Amino acid sequence: MNDPMTKSPFGPEDMARRRRRAIAMALVLAALVALFFITTIVRLGGAIAERTL
Amino acid sequence: MSNINLQAAETPDVLTGGQGTVGDYFALLKPRVMSLVIFTALVGLIAAPGAIHPWIGFVSILAIAVGAGASGALNMWYDADIDAVMTRTAKRPVPKGAITPGEALGFGMTLAIGSVLALGLMVNLLAGALLAFTIFFYVVIYTMWLKRATPQNIVIGGAAGAFPPMIGWAAVTGSIDLGSIALFLIIFMWTPPHFWALALWKKINADYSSAGVPMLPVVAGADETRRQILIYTLLLMPVTFLPALTGTVGLLYTLANAGLGAIFVYHAWRVYRVREGAEAEAACKRLFAFSTLWLFIVFALILAERALGIAAFAPVLG
Repeated sequence: MNDPMTKSPFGPEDMARRRRRAIAMALVLAALVALFFITTIVRLGGAIAERTL
Repeated sequence: MSNINLQAAETPDVLTGGQGTVGDYFALLKPRVMSLVIFTALVGLIAAPGAIHPWIGFVSILAIAVGAGASGALNMWYDADIDAVMTRTAKRPVPKGAITPGEALGFGMTLAIGSVLALGLMVNLLAGALLAFTIFFYVVIYTMWLKRATPQNIVIGGAAGAFPPMIGWAAVTGSIDLGSIALFLIIFMWTPPHFWALALWKKINADYSSAGVPMLPVVAGADETRRQILIYTLLLMPVTFLPALTGTVGLLYTLANAGLGAIFVYHAWRVYRVREGAEAEAACKRLFAFSTLWLFIVFALILAERALGIAAFAPVLG
């Protein structure tokens, strides 16, 4: 019998699904980084370069 | 060893979780509903007086779309029990076992909070608040309460689907105006005849009946549903002219809308009159198909007027 303490309960298909979910999540997170960055620049506007330091 | 295996069998949420594919999660968002939300929100955004930076406009539509998806996921979480007994919904990710209810809840709540925060912080607070209210309305008022409690569920619940153009409008103006209320009312009044035509055509009474959902055709019967379809269609017609009175649209919309409205009423009348056999079924099918097309064209006409530079009428209301 397989020892459940050493053997992963996830099969190759589970791992493949998990990998695809992880890739999708990474892409979403990368898109969010871009979204927040561009939105920040847009909301700040062009006058940001002329502020007093 | 055997104890661990036994435990595994008794805690399906823990050990059967993590089975969903990316496609399953996408299905949780109800992409077809989402596409309608995107379109109507875009029309609200473009019809609104004033201007919005294109990127902020894009962010607005994205947040509204994700908020709609969150509503869909939370709906599927709560309705998993009745989805499982209805043939139309039995293959949704939760009842088919691909995604656990807990995963659907977590996914939906994450998207709901994220989309509301994004819209509120990156666009404006009113738009964010309206999106939060829309999600609350769909999930709590419609899904958790009205859907299982009253045959008027689809009438009041239809408000949730009517909010997106109002949110798009608020993203531009930061306010709720008569113009956005007019767009809201069009979808609100359109939903009952559209949905009930589907219910009669697809004969989903048995589904709803076995699930214990008191949809109008189940509770009041097909004849009363036909009468209600006609009443709501007749009430919808004057509402579709409100955007002309609020100064949102011009001549093209008004003329085309008059013609389209007449066709809509004709189809509703046919559903009311023809009650037996294949012809009755065909009448319901035609009304459902036309009502879908009707909403798309009516809202597309607003976009077309903006694109063609057709001037809106001077506002009579507001």
